[in-house]
Amino acid sequence: MNTIMENIRKTALNEEHIKLGAKMVPFGGWNMPLQYGSIIDEHNTVRKNAGLFDVSHMGEVFLTGADAVEFLQSLVPQDISALKTGKAVYCQLLNNNGGMIDDLIIYRLEDVNDFPYFMLIVNASRINEDYEWIISKKSDYNVDIYNESDKLSMIALQGPFSSDIIEELGLIKSEQPERFSAKNAFIGSAEVIICRTGYTGEDGFEIVVSNSVVPTLWRNILEKGVEYSIKPIGLGARDTLRLEAAMLLYGQDMDEMTSPVEAGLSWSIAKNKQEIYSGKDDILMQLGGAGLKKRLIGFKMLDKSIPRHDYDIFIDDKPAGKVTSGGIAPYLGYNIGLGYIDAEYSPKIGDNIQIDIRGKLHPAQIVKRPFYTRGE
Amino acid sequence: MGNIKAPEGTMCTKSHEYALKEAELLKIGITDYAVEQLGDVIFVELPEVGARFSKGDVFGTIESVKAASDLYAPVSGTVESINENLSASPELVNEDPFAEGWIIKLKEFNTAEFQGLMPYDNYREDIEG
Repeated sequence: MNTIMENIRKTALNEEHIKLGAKMVPFGGWNMPLQYGSIIDEHNTVRKNAGLFDVSHMGEVFLTGADAVEFLQSLVPQDISALKTGKAVYCQLLNNNGGMIDDLIIYRLEDVNDFPYFMLIVNASRINEDYEWIISKKSDYNVDIYNESDKLSMIALQGPFSSDIIEELGLIKSEQPERFSAKNAFIGSAEVIICRTGYTGEDGFEIVVSNSVVPTLWRNILEKGVEYSIKPIGLGARDTLRLEAAMLLYGQDMDEMTSPVEAGLSWSIAKNKQEIYSGKDDILMQLGGAGLKKRLIGFKMLDKSIPRHDYDIFIDDKPAGKVTSGGIAPYLGYNIGLGYIDAEYSPKIGDNIQIDIRGKLHPAQIVKRPFYTRGE
Repeated sequence: MGNIKAPEGTMCTKSHEYALKEAELLKIGITDYAVEQLGDVIFVELPEVGARFSKGDVFGTIESVKAASDLYAPVSGTVESINENLSASPELVNEDPFAEGWIIKLKEFNTAEFQGLMPYDNYREDIEG
């Protein structure tokens, strides 16, 4: 064994994956399931039935104290003071230039010791950067910050039957959190934080639970889910699902050199927020239309070719940007991508563009994001 | 996947293409092992009929959900035909790599190069190490 292998981490569900016949791959320092069977089958299972994901590599940071709201207000362009107990908000952690250190979901849980209590779910690859950044900004704020990522696992149950399956496990629908909400609860005997959030474009839950309890909960969900045709789902389908829902992937579609405005995330920003936050001047300028270097677009291929990360985007036969994510949209039945166009262009829905694939320009069209929206 | 059998006489490359004689022609595709590694094949970029390749040239690209992989000519030869069915049904490569999922057929191919390829059983031993 070489040293790289020894440094690869395993989630508490590693043995479960191996028992289920998963193809395991290294991913961001973790040994994770890529697929258990066909990625396309797994994708469509989540769209039509239900799928269970191990996302324990993701980070959980808890933040509490008298100044918890004010401190978070200084870190993200969203309005955390408007976040009610039990609710969640999609956020970006910004550097001083408005570039994204990470994207994350902030959940406001029940107060603890009369102080606001927040859970931050962050990307696996960014746990250390996020934590160091947050600590570096703490200064005089009266807050306590706990990185609990090593002690906690997270599994995601996604798909139209997710709520039925959780009900079968004892948490009835009226007690389940609503969309973009979270609560402390028991699923059977497992004490969990259950969140109605996800990364697939479907209804579903992300469940935070201790490492010691997660294997039993995982097996119970798969067992109760049999009648709903549940399957375990690997990172392969996680990627195709999030792309079809036009959700960005940190490190691929977004980074420290990209602002949320450039990344098409202006909808998530609190435009009238009074408090100062990192990068605010740049963000306000960009919201006003100045200082943008690029703009995110979504596109579909007009032939059968497949766009991939880093391919060049052409407009009128001139290089105009780069693909950041691309691939098959298994449920929609065509190929799609996300990418950035230089700010000098004003791309519009319906515009024709071209993608340079192995030296040939292939026709594509800018389309509305998300590519896929679930039916109600 | 274990039910796929390589026909008698299948010869392979280290880059996981196979070559199989069919009368005067040489049928080229990718091995069952390659298929297992790739997972769902979603697109195959095929060469033009009549194109001439030398051993080791990239003659096409095979795309799975995760990635695009080049296809290398196992021997020198001229493309006699391409598997047109792969355009509508790239999954044939997954389902039946040695028969319905063939990729191209070569004519006027280099026989010595063909004989220098690895017999299928040696190839399996090689990859299973």
